[in-house]
Amino acid sequence: MASKFGLAGGIPERRVRPIWDAVDSRQYKAALKLCTALLAKHPTSPYVLALKGLILERMGKPDEALSVCLNAKELLYSDNIFHFDDLTLSTLQIVFQRLERLDLATSCYEYACTKYPNNLELMMGLFNCYVREYSYVKQQQTAIKMYKTVGEERFLLWAVCSIQLQVHFSSGGEKLLPLAEALLKKHISSHSLHEPEALALYISILEQQSKYDAALEVLSGDLGSLMGRVEDKLRLQGRLLAQACNYAAASEIYQKILESCPDDWESFLHYLGCLLEHDVNVPKSRTSEHTLLSVDSALALKTSLSEELVESRLSSALSFVQKLQGNDTSECVRGPHLANIEIERQRRLSANPTDRKFIEALVNYFHRFGHLSCAASDVEIYLHMLSSDEITELLDTISRSFDASSFSVKGLGLAITIFKVQELLGIFFSKSTTELQRIAKVMVETFYKNLPLSRDLDPQESMHGEELLCMASSILVQLFWRTRNLGYLTEAILVLEFGLTVRKYVWQYKVILVHLYSYLGALPLAYRWYVTLEVKNILLESASHHILPQMLNSPLLQQTADLVKDYLKFMDDHLKESADLTCLAYRHRTYSKVIEFVQFKERLQHSMQYLSVRSDSIILSLKQKAESLEEVESILENVNHGARLVELSNEDNMKHFTFNEDLQARPWWTPTTSVNFLSEPFHEGSQPACFRAKVCEHKSTEKDDPKIKDSERKSLLPRLVYLSMHGCAFSLREAEPNGSGLGTDAAEMKPLLEKYSRSIGYSIDDALSVILGMSSGKKSVKDFAPDIVSWMSFAVFINAWNLWSNELVIPRADQSSPSSWQIVDNLVKICIEEQLIDANQILTSPGNNIPVLVQMITEPMSWHLVVIQSCVRSMAPQGKKKKKGGPSERPNIPRLQAIQRSVQCMIDTLRSVQSWLSDQMRPEEQALDILLSYLHGASEDGPGQISCILEENSARHNPELGERIAQSLETWSSAGVVRRIVGAEQELLVELKKICDSKLKLLGSESASLSSALH
Amino acid sequence: MTTIRRFCCDDLLRFSSVNLDHLTETFNMSFYMTYMARWPDYFHAAVSPGDRVMGYIMGKVEGQGESWHGHVTAVSVASEFRRQKLAKKLMNLLEEISDKMDKAYFVDLFVRASNMPAIRMYEKLGYVVYRRVLRYYSGEEDGLDMRKALSQDVEKKSIIPLKRPITPDELEYD
Repeated sequence: MASKFGLAGGIPERRVRPIWDAVDSRQYKAALKLCTALLAKHPTSPYVLALKGLILERMGKPDEALSVCLNAKELLYSDNIFHFDDLTLSTLQIVFQRLERLDLATSCYEYACTKYPNNLELMMGLFNCYVREYSYVKQQQTAIKMYKTVGEERFLLWAVCSIQLQVHFSSGGEKLLPLAEALLKKHISSHSLHEPEALALYISILEQQSKYDAALEVLSGDLGSLMGRVEDKLRLQGRLLAQACNYAAASEIYQKILESCPDDWESFLHYLGCLLEHDVNVPKSRTSEHTLLSVDSALALKTSLSEELVESRLSSALSFVQKLQGNDTSECVRGPHLANIEIERQRRLSANPTDRKFIEALVNYFHRFGHLSCAASDVEIYLHMLSSDEITELLDTISRSFDASSFSVKGLGLAITIFKVQELLGIFFSKSTTELQRIAKVMVETFYKNLPLSRDLDPQESMHGEELLCMASSILVQLFWRTRNLGYLTEAILVLEFGLTVRKYVWQYKVILVHLYSYLGALPLAYRWYVTLEVKNILLESASHHILPQMLNSPLLQQTADLVKDYLKFMDDHLKESADLTCLAYRHRTYSKVIEFVQFKERLQHSMQYLSVRSDSIILSLKQKAESLEEVESILENVNHGARLVELSNEDNMKHFTFNEDLQARPWWTPTTSVNFLSEPFHEGSQPACFRAKVCEHKSTEKDDPKIKDSERKSLLPRLVYLSMHGCAFSLREAEPNGSGLGTDAAEMKPLLEKYSRSIGYSIDDALSVILGMSSGKKSVKDFAPDIVSWMSFAVFINAWNLWSNELVIPRADQSSPSSWQIVDNLVKICIEEQLIDANQILTSPGNNIPVLVQMITEPMSWHLVVIQSCVRSMAPQGKKKKKGGPSERPNIPRLQAIQRSVQCMIDTLRSVQSWLSDQMRPEEQALDILLSYLHGASEDGPGQISCILEENSARHNPELGERIAQSLETWSSAGVVRRIVGAEQELLVELKKICDSKLKLLGSESASLSSALH
Repeated sequence: MTTIRRFCCDDLLRFSSVNLDHLTETFNMSFYMTYMARWPDYFHAAVSPGDRVMGYIMGKVEGQGESWHGHVTAVSVASEFRRQKLAKKLMNLLEEISDKMDKAYFVDLFVRASNMPAIRMYEKLGYVVYRRVLRYYSGEEDGLDMRKALSQDVEKKSIIPLKRPITPDELEYD
């Protein structure tokens, strides 16, 4: 910026520079001092004022900053201003942007541009303002103006880009495409084009209007030479030809691409598609959020050609591909060999379903590349097309092709691939438990036996055979699912912990452990491993799902709050800076990225997770502070009482939700955050294919209702809590009908509660009868189990509403019908008791109900406590707030009694939780013995064998392992791992106990105040 | 079989299997997006037939006169797709673009002095250690500045090793 200082609003550079230096080195106090001194000399300099605003903003004084900048703005607008430069404006812009007042920055630039209509620098500033505000039409107009002023190519393309953005994001925008085309044509005829990105934009304008021939003509003309790489040009040509249905020419082009890039799989699929004249629908899903292999979509494409023609085209493709195979000397190019399989698949589809060549091609592929880690996943979609006989044949053939007893990296790779194929096909599900045990054992032994292959590797490098432990662990989890024997689950953990003892960097192990520990109820351990994954920046959006849902239902409130805070900070910051990056793309003339960046911003902004976590974050703070009404009030005040969240969850927003989680690395038994197969019974004899279909179904219904409804419900919660406590404050004073603003609040509560009940799937009336039924014992709580926490919260809010609504909320048949307080009391009592009765020993029952219990105590109970506190406070003397001569305040005795009963009920319930928790806590050694006993079962068949192998291997001194691996193995101890599990489970119980303690303390004091009020 | 194409924003949401690796840094968003906006030809993703991100390379071109060069900022391959020369393919692509499109004189990169596997790989690809940068990584570990000359640098002047190690503040570029 130094060069600009000379122009700084007429202020000499030497006076300004020290201020900027101080700002840059974060010496804000010093900067302010200098700036104030300068301001004394130039009291009406907008630039110095803007600088002061900037400093104040950095010092964390947004209000002062805004007022100083508004002052500067006013001076700019006054007629006698002498200096009017971009530096002043851009400084103001920075401050306004940080204060989230883009509109003010824009209006400054708008004013400046009217005053100095032909100043390019100011117009560029204005253009950037519109980019930051996502005002595409104004962007377009400003760019056109700049183009008309100086005639530069880039400004025209800025305008065309702005049109493209309208096409993508406003309805009817496509009507502007011909305009964009005409503008470009006119410019090209006189000036041509000079940037590859400009050409790409021009082509895409034509392509969007289906003017493929015109696009091709442009590409083959002079402009075509702008494309830097030949392959890129050919790919574009191929695509355009295919879209124009000129398949013959397109396939020739793709052939050329493959000759120079034989491994380009996408081009091969296009090539084949063009030969068969059904083109470009490649079996893949780049645009979809979750990558999901779908065999159906790969199979769906049928050609309209005759059988003979298909055959002859496929033959020519085959000989082309074989030629490519022959050209390859590196042994690394898999494309042409995979192409062979695809061609045979097409053949099988068109004519000969039993043709042997398909399986032969697969066998060949495995012979050549079977040792590679990705061999099985490469051909996954093809494997699913094999009959079970063919699968057996395939596995036999590959197994025979190598000597399993010899040690080599290749041999190990092949052995792993065979296991992987079986895993992918779900074959393990049809094996007996004995057989599965044997396989898991073989996997672990193979891992250990092959360790010497990795002895000379750098510790940073992944070792040979690491996948084996993942697979072994996965089989052990399956054994647990089938037998419910805890020993297997423990061994599944041990295997991975063993792997991490050998090499501490394997993230795949860590991810599975995060899920296993979560399921087991040892969440603190899950969290510790998760932290070592160093999930940050964009990974927070794609990988938080591994831990966040479990943490949100746990008593680890502080750690959860940290996770939530990091995530929101990342998302908020990025959404704020995203438009600046779009400006950068404009400035560097990377037009394709302009569009992409805006699309990506939209995608993140509509992230389902983002909306959910925003609610979670508030709910979490409320949970943490529920015992202090003042803190609850201040939390709610900071989020405009939950109103903004309610707005965000409107239906229009929800239609555009995006799901950005990368689910690929999740273990098979929990394919999405809302599904855990281990919580369901295992069905003997379930077919592998059924299981796979189930997983696919879960992944594809990830976007469906329950999750969205859940998120919607969460977004209503803070507002409902606010309204509940707000209403209660007035409810105890009888003589205050329609107290200040109460009527409108009551009116707001009803639609919110209606929305809330709808999100559980009921109308408000039906929902009322459900809670009435449950609280009176007429309806079984179990029938409503999945949403039970929401039902409890609903009852709490109904009670709050009932306190101050003029409507009769709950129809009461007679005096003996329960009051709304009793409904809440009974429901809380029944639901929690049910959990306590059902709960087995936590230590030995994974998937236990601690999370539900935690939720019941930290959510509905907390909300109810807030209501109680509100009521109690409002009956206390009002102090200064008391209006002179206002209506006398007599306490509403029956209501106070109801509250006191409710307080007592909460106390009793929490005490029963406390005593249950105490029962669960046992001496560490005793707990350790219990868990270890699962591993030392008497039967030869049961768990324990694999932990034995691990112990033996680590104890044995094997010189072949090399010093590093041998040393790391010395530290291994199964008992150590189990001890940590025990410790983590206890930690969780202690945290829950603390929460109960603090609630009990509050209830005790409320009870005392109520007693004194009543007597 | 790999489709190598320009890296796009959506890839950021799918590259966790590459970036969860402890040696691969996950940068902030403006870092990635600045590379995409300024040097789109230097940022490529390799994609598998199942449309998974196998790995990626990001880099830039900078410098003046005879020090006009391509720079590899990061290259990373998911463990499932290692040992099939994918990193080499990505490096070659960046070299080709530096050489043919941008007429750069050399390509350079920085690597932790302790990261022997990576150093060996770069050596195999024709890179030589040009100089050592003392305490380059977080003020602790030394970095090696490795270079490979391109066709513009006919006499291969750019890769004659410096005798003396330098400190980070002596570096010409960030």
